Amino acid sequence: MGRGYIVQDAVEGYLSRLCEQKADPVTGLLIGQSSAQRDFVIMATRTPQREESAAAAGDTVDKEWITEHARQVSRMLPGGLSVLGVFIITDADAKDTLTTLRQLVFTVENLISSEHLWDPADDDVTDCVTLHVNPKTRKTICRTFDIKDPKSMAKPADWKYQSGLCSSWATVSCSLNVDILLPLPNNRTSDSLFQEGLKAWAHQIESGLFLIDGKRLPEDSELTVGQVVKCRMQICKAKPYFWSLSQRSDLNCQIRISHLHTYVVQQCGGSVSITGAIHSRAYLHSNKPKARLAEKMLKRDVVSTVATRVQMMLEELLTSDQEKQLRLPHRIFCPLKASGPLCVCDYQFSDESSSDVTERLKEMLDIDAAEADLDTRQETTAEMTGCDVTPGVAMATAVALLATAASMLYLNDI
Amino acid sequence: VVADSETATILRVKGPLEFRCQLDSTDGVCRNVISRTFETLRCQVKSESCVLAVCDSPVIIWPNKDTYATPEEITPSTLCEDLYQWIRSGKKSTKKKSKRSLTMSVINLRLMVEVTKPGPVSAPILIKAVQKSHFVRATLPVDCVSMYVIQNLMEALTHQLTEMEKVTLENMKGMTLLVPEPVHFLLPEPKGLVTVVYPTGVPDSQLVTLRKELHQQFELPDDRPYFRRSNAYRFPNEPYKDGYLRNPHLVLTHPTLDNGKVYLVQGIYSYHHYMQDRVDDSGWGCAYRSLQTICSWFQQQGYIERSVPTHKEIQQALVDVGDKQASFVGSRQWIGSIEVQAVLNHLLEITSKIMFVSQGSELASKGRELANHFLTEGTPVMIGGGVLAHTILGVAWSETTGQIRYLILDPHYTGAEDLQVITDKGWCGWKGPDFWDQTAYYNLCLPLRPKVF
Repeated sequence: MGRGYIVQDAVEGYLSRLCEQKADPVTGLLIGQSSAQRDFVIMATRTPQREESAAAAGDTVDKEWITEHARQVSRMLPGGLSVLGVFIITDADAKDTLTTLRQLVFTVENLISSEHLWDPADDDVTDCVTLHVNPKTRKTICRTFDIKDPKSMAKPADWKYQSGLCSSWATVSCSLNVDILLPLPNNRTSDSLFQEGLKAWAHQIESGLFLIDGKRLPEDSELTVGQVVKCRMQICKAKPYFWSLSQRSDLNCQIRISHLHTYVVQQCGGSVSITGAIHSRAYLHSNKPKARLAEKMLKRDVVSTVATRVQMMLEELLTSDQEKQLRLPHRIFCPLKASGPLCVCDYQFSDESSSDVTERLKEMLDIDAAEADLDTRQETTAEMTGCDVTPGVAMATAVALLATAASMLYLNDI
Repeated sequence: VVADSETATILRVKGPLEFRCQLDSTDGVCRNVISRTFETLRCQVKSESCVLAVCDSPVIIWPNKDTYATPEEITPSTLCEDLYQWIRSGKKSTKKKSKRSLTMSVINLRLMVEVTKPGPVSAPILIKAVQKSHFVRATLPVDCVSMYVIQNLMEALTHQLTEMEKVTLENMKGMTLLVPEPVHFLLPEPKGLVTVVYPTGVPDSQLVTLRKELHQQFELPDDRPYFRRSNAYRFPNEPYKDGYLRNPHLVLTHPTLDNGKVYLVQGIYSYHHYMQDRVDDSGWGCAYRSLQTICSWFQQQGYIERSVPTHKEIQQALVDVGDKQASFVGSRQWIGSIEVQAVLNHLLEITSKIMFVSQGSELASKGRELANHFLTEGTPVMIGGGVLAHTILGVAWSETTGQIRYLILDPHYTGAEDLQVITDKGWCGWKGPDFWDQTAYYNLCLPLRPKVF
């Protein structure tokens, strides 16, 4: 039983237009959502031109470039949406093309997963889709590969166009405080530090208590499609892995020492703190999306939106040993035309304009967006605090104040 | 949420709390930064983003906020035990229904921080500080109880954080800081449940001054170890990991005699019997097992820290005091009350009284002495005679009629730790005077509590 991909009919028109281009091959990405029951493709986006090789838009497939494009695109997709696979428009031999597609799909998926700070779940779908379109006949060959299995063979899959696909999606969202403090090893900043420290924070988020519309729902309860659901999350303010179960061996011991005896004191050359808040969003398509899925998708979006932004600053952080105060870019959403509530997103630095954002959306996702379309209301540019205040203490007052202000807003907000 | 004055419901909140800060090497600055970080934590607990999640239920409470709780039916005036209806019972209990109800029930809560808030929000800032220093972090095992209302619980939380700050600073040696840990003790009425913050890893022997202060503070006599760690209160829902049954006698219905009273062992003991610990001592080990039960009592009441001795350790102790030859170790030889007394003295520094009866029928007249023992010492009694050894856990005795019953814990049981079987079949049960061999002589070992704190 192969997978069945239900595809937004606008994608058919898009691929058709690409077929009419002179270039061969034309590659790109397929974007949507995969679940155990069904797979939905909501859009396709061609691989952008590589500037240096504009002249030689040749017959070679630039695997590195395609993979990098996929990584960038993946960062522009809110929770629930992901790069499902790769398409290629070429009249080259089907078998060779399939081999190329296979290689692409594996490298794309491996790169994207390497940036994930969470562990894969048992119910994650591990199949990726490849689409081979013949530009002359417009025939499509759709195959899937299981990314978990390096020896995976191509499996046939259905590719069916449908209209009105994008209107039946549920949206879950929340805005969330971020307060991370990491030690820097002596004198050097390394990116593995961020991986480790952020991973611990990601684990906190993953194990956080999740409320939907103010209620703690059983995992299997269903959400009504079409509603915008506000979510709240509480976390336990500690890292589980710091607990060491050093149980005394006394037979009748009543007290289990489930924590370390001493505070962990490590020498460091400084610290990095990330404080502020982010807006997170996830989309779910299903007749009746389960609460468990909503929780998983939203939590992953929370983690990746912070990780993505830190990644963007990494180079600047690593290149110098100076003290720094950096504003992380804020998140902007852009609705997909004729796609119901679905949006893609981008990150705008404080020194960028809206046109920078629309240009990037065009380049990466081949979307024609007007500046007026952009939703900039969810996050505002970061406010810089005074440099001489130690982050830990500042946060205490800030948290208390924000909480009060927030409660007033919340009560008035029906 | 309020408590009904009739029932005793304990609210217990646990919530590991993360402690993080940066320190210079200067001691003075260190203490300030640590105090400031604790102040941050106290603010967090008093803030509106502080959340209490009731375990195994959909109930979430914001104790510092007007909107208070979800589900909405729960308000600050909800009775504690009404919270029970929201708590899922989880998997079916394998333990059989207790004939006596527990006097206390616990509602467990988890301390959390709400991280979400309404938008729009201000995007994050990343601050990189370059400064040679020490990064300090710990997981504080916050654990508070309240016998009344959520409000008290929140006050207890703040108070505990202050105590933890004190213990951390008092036990700071250079760059070594001990994590403070809360321990709960059940004091005699009307004091009830009390929480003390101890530095982790510091043995009881080094905490004498602190315990003396506590005894004075709570006006407790100096001759009982109320505040030793191993005497910590065990909550009703906390299982014992070692697998031994505790106090099986609690599920029994005690006999009613005319003008009679029941005098029982005080505190907690474990049931030790044949075939446990992969030692096949069937036929010879009964006195050893009774001795183990007694040792378990002294350990769980906080008098000793060492674990319950094995058969070999018991035998070795007797060799060490010169009572037996070296070949005794590893043998299957019986021991009696005198040997039990000797081992208690040598291994545990416990003194015991020996009571002798020349024939079993005389035991019926020992009601007063046994009653007194359970009243003042409350320790389990080992009785050996004929070819058998048993443990006496209590007596039911009538001063006027002289009627007597003995609560017996039988070490000859060879089965599994099944409370139902053990109580139904009388392995732990009330026996009459005819239980004893009327013509054999018996020795009883009555261990005494050391007068220590």
